[in-house]
Amino acid sequence: MADRPRVGAPATAAATTGVPGPATAAAPAAAGTGVTYGVGIGWRPEIAGFVAELPGLRFAEVVAESIHPHGDLPAGIEALLARGVTVVPHGVRLSLGGAEPVPAERVDHFAAVAQRLGAPLVSEHIAFVRAGGIEAGHLLPLPRNREAVAAVTANVRRVQESLSVPIALEPIAALFDWPDDELTEAQFITEILDRTGALLLLDIANVYANARNRGTDPEELLDQLPLDRVAYTHVAGGAEHQGLYHDTHTDAVPQPVLDLVTALCDRHRPPALLLERDGAYPPAADLRAELDAIAKASAYPAVT
Amino acid sequence: MTAPDGTAVDHEPPAPRQADDPGSLADRQAALVEALTAGRPMPAGFDGFRFEAARVALLRKRAGEVSRQWPLLAASFGDRWKHEFATWAATRPTQGSLRDGWDLARDLLARAALPPMAATELAEREAALHYDGASPPRPRRGPSLRVAAGAVAVQIAGRVRVLRRP
Repeated sequence: MADRPRVGAPATAAATTGVPGPATAAAPAAAGTGVTYGVGIGWRPEIAGFVAELPGLRFAEVVAESIHPHGDLPAGIEALLARGVTVVPHGVRLSLGGAEPVPAERVDHFAAVAQRLGAPLVSEHIAFVRAGGIEAGHLLPLPRNREAVAAVTANVRRVQESLSVPIALEPIAALFDWPDDELTEAQFITEILDRTGALLLLDIANVYANARNRGTDPEELLDQLPLDRVAYTHVAGGAEHQGLYHDTHTDAVPQPVLDLVTALCDRHRPPALLLERDGAYPPAADLRAELDAIAKASAYPAVT
Repeated sequence: MTAPDGTAVDHEPPAPRQADDPGSLADRQAALVEALTAGRPMPAGFDGFRFEAARVALLRKRAGEVSRQWPLLAASFGDRWKHEFATWAATRPTQGSLRDGWDLARDLLARAALPPMAATELAEREAALHYDGASPPRPRRGPSLRVAAGAVAVQIAGRVRVLRRP
């Protein structure tokens, strides 16, 4: 795609100037690429055949840690790239929110995967996955305080130094909060974006899950976030257990999440919305229906 | 101090702190991960119900991941798999799903509790890869023959064949 700007430097403009607020030099680059992709899907080996046959697909995501940047790509990924589908590496193990510096070899791998895929941007989470030498095996929430903002900022900057494309940061769904949060979720996210110049990967299912479990209004959070910096959006399913909503990625996308997609698009439609499914894969017809429902909720063309 | 499984746990006394000083982010993250994965107590101030929900969800997620690496091990427990794995894994932080399943299978074998179907799967893995229980498994260089609870698997030039199923 010739219209992909290589935007390494602009992504760090806010970090170097310290200019706060969404109206920094990073925001226009945000839109990242200026390209609108529409509805996409997270590529997983188990659904490679299904993804390969989506005629209108222009945007997909692959777990960065599953790719060998100097070996063969999975055949399904090669085929998508050959079709001109944009494939974004989605990191899950960098632990950007860890108090320790992100390991250099993980940063190198992440950057090499981005290069190998020719990706116009990369993404990771505002979370930590290990501490004290122990792997948690899951994305864990950070305390929403200045110390955590500083830790994330330092790690994101370490990654940005190795990247030639922007990084989008994804706030996670958390079943619990830390006891001593100082910032609201919107303040915490915005502060990190401002200090790093990063884009926002807004997971609308995470917004729904957190609001439901905290008893807050998800649309209120949408009103407080810098939506003009959303690079793309995740959509996923979940289920309730013992009164708590779990963002499982193994259940169907519930209607309230689709309604929230519409509420988001009414405010500022993101360039891409991507379905994430991570197990208990349903029949192809069900996955197609979910993609169509996301298209309908966002008024993007169906990709099926 | 001992973990719930009865093993001794090294416990460094924390440096004295002000009552309202929760500690460094690094220390607090480490305490949180230990509580979630190693059976250590939940740090003060968290919502116990929600923290427990997260701990259990994490174990179930791990059980799902291990079942993809060890399908016969998981299948041999049927509906009880998630419970079986979660009970075993509650005080054992993950070493990755390949090693988690391997460690559990060896534990079951040592307790003479490894189901026959899972024994075949274990023998195949043991024949294919060298695993010392502490570092990532790696392919065996020479030919090998491994036995697990009556299952026998042989590996020659990287190809594994089951010679006997229990």
